[in-house]
Amino acid sequence: MKALDRKLLRDLWYMRGQAIAIALVLAAATATFVLSVGVHASLTDTRDAYYARNHFADVFASMTRAPRAIVARIGAIEGVQRAEGSIEQYATLDFPDSNVPVRALINSVDEYGHTQLNTVTLREGRMPQAGEAGEVVVDEAFATANELGPGDSVDALIYGSYQKLNIVGVGLAPNYIYSIAPGDLVPDNQRFGIFWMGRRALEAATDRTEAINSLALTLERGASEADVIREVDSILEPYGGTGAFGREDHLSHAFLDNELMQLDAMTRVIPPVFLLVSTFLVYIVLGRMIRTERTQIGLLKAFGYSGAQIGVHYLKFALAIAVLATILGSGAGIWMGQAMTRLYAEYYRFPFLYYHMSWTVFIGAALLSLGAAGLGAYAGMRSAVKLAPAVAMSPPPPPVYRAGAVERLGSLAGFSAIGHMIVRHIARWPGRSAITAFGVALSLGLLFSTMQFMDASRTMLDSYFFRAQKQDMTISFTEPRNADVLHALEQLPGVIRVEGTRGVAVKLSNGNRTERTALESAEADSILSARIDAGGGEIPLPISGIMLSRQLADQLDLSAGDDVFVEMLGGRRTQMMMPVASIVDEFVGARAYAAEATLERIARDAAPVGSALVSIDPAARDDILSGLKDMPVVLGVTERDAALIKFEEIVNDNIFTMMFFYIAFASAIAVGVVYNSARILFSERAHELATLRVLGYHRSEVAIVLLGELALLVIVAVPIGCVIGYWLAQMMTSMFSSDLFRLPFAPTRATFGFSILVILIAALATAALVALRVLRLDMVRVLKARD
Amino acid sequence: MASGGIELAFSGKDLRKVYVTGETEVHALRGVDLAINKGEIVVLLGPSGSGKSTLLNIIGGLDRPTAGELSYHGVELSGLAEDELTQYRRENIGFIFQFYNLIPSLTAEENVRLVTDIAEHPMDALEALRMVGLGERAQHYPAQLSGGEQQRVAVARAIAKKPGVLLCDEPTGALDSVTGVRVLEALQRANRELGTTVLLITHNAGIGAMADRVLHFLDGQIARVEENEAPIEPAEIGW
Repeated sequence: MKALDRKLLRDLWYMRGQAIAIALVLAAATATFVLSVGVHASLTDTRDAYYARNHFADVFASMTRAPRAIVARIGAIEGVQRAEGSIEQYATLDFPDSNVPVRALINSVDEYGHTQLNTVTLREGRMPQAGEAGEVVVDEAFATANELGPGDSVDALIYGSYQKLNIVGVGLAPNYIYSIAPGDLVPDNQRFGIFWMGRRALEAATDRTEAINSLALTLERGASEADVIREVDSILEPYGGTGAFGREDHLSHAFLDNELMQLDAMTRVIPPVFLLVSTFLVYIVLGRMIRTERTQIGLLKAFGYSGAQIGVHYLKFALAIAVLATILGSGAGIWMGQAMTRLYAEYYRFPFLYYHMSWTVFIGAALLSLGAAGLGAYAGMRSAVKLAPAVAMSPPPPPVYRAGAVERLGSLAGFSAIGHMIVRHIARWPGRSAITAFGVALSLGLLFSTMQFMDASRTMLDSYFFRAQKQDMTISFTEPRNADVLHALEQLPGVIRVEGTRGVAVKLSNGNRTERTALESAEADSILSARIDAGGGEIPLPISGIMLSRQLADQLDLSAGDDVFVEMLGGRRTQMMMPVASIVDEFVGARAYAAEATLERIARDAAPVGSALVSIDPAARDDILSGLKDMPVVLGVTERDAALIKFEEIVNDNIFTMMFFYIAFASAIAVGVVYNSARILFSERAHELATLRVLGYHRSEVAIVLLGELALLVIVAVPIGCVIGYWLAQMMTSMFSSDLFRLPFAPTRATFGFSILVILIAALATAALVALRVLRLDMVRVLKARD
Repeated sequence: MASGGIELAFSGKDLRKVYVTGETEVHALRGVDLAINKGEIVVLLGPSGSGKSTLLNIIGGLDRPTAGELSYHGVELSGLAEDELTQYRRENIGFIFQFYNLIPSLTAEENVRLVTDIAEHPMDALEALRMVGLGERAQHYPAQLSGGEQQRVAVARAIAKKPGVLLCDEPTGALDSVTGVRVLEALQRANRELGTTVLLITHNAGIGAMADRVLHFLDGQIARVEENEAPIEPAEIGW
């Protein structure tokens, strides 16, 4: 080993504390990079493999009823590779010892128990057999949640009649990776399941012999999805087609896509913050190291080492830290990736979900760390390369202090001599002071911007569950009913108020922008439902025209006062231009609303009730649920409280893990920055601190010089960090928003306070740790050396 | 303590100091007996490594003897805890070093205030600077002062708290003769006006002439004590 490399190793060992502190910040960059890129890749690969293996369709369509023969016509459309028709039917399940309303969506499979598209992967048991009426396969999540398996049976109310369903298998399909009951906000595997049943059996149960109400198709390579959808829609129009749509509008696919988008956003925001801080840390630490090793550099040059050799020597110091960081960070990233993948396996139903890492991710992570460290080392390297040997070997000129603006301020404030020492040192090293303050500010910003997602979910919860939905139950019907059904519901003992609502599938267009959605309405004097603006205010339904959620308005590029082309999908297929009366800043989904009368003008039918909002006496809940069970028109009951509990369960399940990671990562920055600043400060001021000790200052008084400067920088960092956090949070909130939901930006003072507290504790504890060195300060040795 | 009208400031008995660095032991003091009177100017002479600085550091409470006893006005120093030693320095000792050890970020006056801020009955910082002839340079930073001026700031800083003892380790070592004399004059003035005991290490044998006594060090021991019947003025010292 060359002597210079030996020096490198000893330097690394001697400065191990600082090297490790930098490595931890850099490792956090690597870890978050490996985590998000790795999980993104794993999830994408798993999904793609699953889609390919189980022939996930490209285009989906549903209709009221169409003859099975239509499938051949669809299949003949240019660009369609394969088309398959099926029946989808909601059913109410009856578990005898529970009156919790449970719904199932039953899909048909062919007589051999197969489907060509969206095929079922069996986890257990077998597929339904031809001619066996009541055989079903149930989805794994539902089976697990309800402890069901092959051999068990459930009673189901399908299309108005009761039937006993025998479970013969447990399975999964790529179109239900994520499944959620209509009207629900969160998946509830106990109350909603996906079933597969033999075609003939389901045809018989739903009175749809040789008919279908659902279509899936795959496209040939290069085919235009839009063209195919247009063709499909025109063929299905007479059969009550509600508009074909591609994968991006497919619920399960869209949710998964949303997750991938969030991972992507995370990759773009979090690792760069850590990389930036690491670069700064390498910059200040190496800068200080080169200043202290000035004489050595001069000596080496005098011996004949070239500037480049010395530059490379210091570069190696930075790169060695980066290598350590890559190893640490990759390990941590893999570990967290595995944990996150396991978490995904609970939400998303894959037959297999491997966490796998490709070498390219590690290479990417290593390049990022090496790049950040190298960049940080650059300025120091340059100064080492440029240092002339004769200059280097003479002692550096004494630091020049003068009374600047800060100083005059200090005099005004009547600082003690110690106070002057603190303030002037900060002003003497403005770059490094700024980096310290900025680093701590970034850690605070990062912590705040991640912590505030909890505020966001709470605000969403509040807006969605407490303000917008005041009903205790939402009751859906097997098909739209007239107002009689509301009177029937009112008769149930314990029911306090009933309101009808409905949603009509529509296509909204503005120029060439088109969106499918449900146009929803509520009773004119509704008190159970409300549309709540992001600001918390209630926006009334417009007397005429329609109201769009901000999301939908943005997608269609519409604002209040514009006209929108409304096309009813299915039913009478009414088409008309309507004014956009108002925009509501909602969090969930791309939605559209209209007053009851407006909707009636579009739908023009005699069955205006799609579902009912009901408020009840909580004591009567069980009786009401039993009563609803006996009403064949009732398809499903969504209980607000149950959904709320489920939502909170999801949030709470992860809150501590998430908080741990957020705090650990953000603190890593604060610790790394403060530790390095404190060590540099200590080494720079050791001489002065020893002088103070000699003059009779106690250790605690001397520590103030060190801690005071850091404390001042941290105090400056707090408001900056709050601004950065606010800005980062805003950016991440908008990056995390999708067609499915928009996160509210609602940071609370408590979150600011908590973030500040965590960072203050991390920063001051680290500073105090370094200040302990004051205890071991060897006055005699320090003073013997000329500073 | 007091005998024949002379009060004893320091009394040391068989002081020993052994430094262990790695596998080698360095005997810096090999049994030093010592009696320093209050108000005396004592010069410590001797080659490098003869134990002068070690003794001065022990007297100043910066270091502790490995063995032996040392008392200041009857108070045994070796028994003091770290914080008590700090308090002892704060109240009694003024230090002056070869390399000044001023705080570069503080002006001359503020450097002196470092001490007056924490002393019990200090003189005014400006007054201390005037005593060393630097009243006009009070607002200058160390980098704006010459070596001699910096050392005089260090002297002002040391005398500002009116210490009982001034410990000077080669105070003129980095100075030319003219500035050196001015520093010595400042020390002498403190001795005369404040009654401060002065212990001064030097390599310059000529300085011994201004002392009441000269302690000659050799190999960690006091080889010889030279009494000076008629100390001379610093200006008369042959440099």
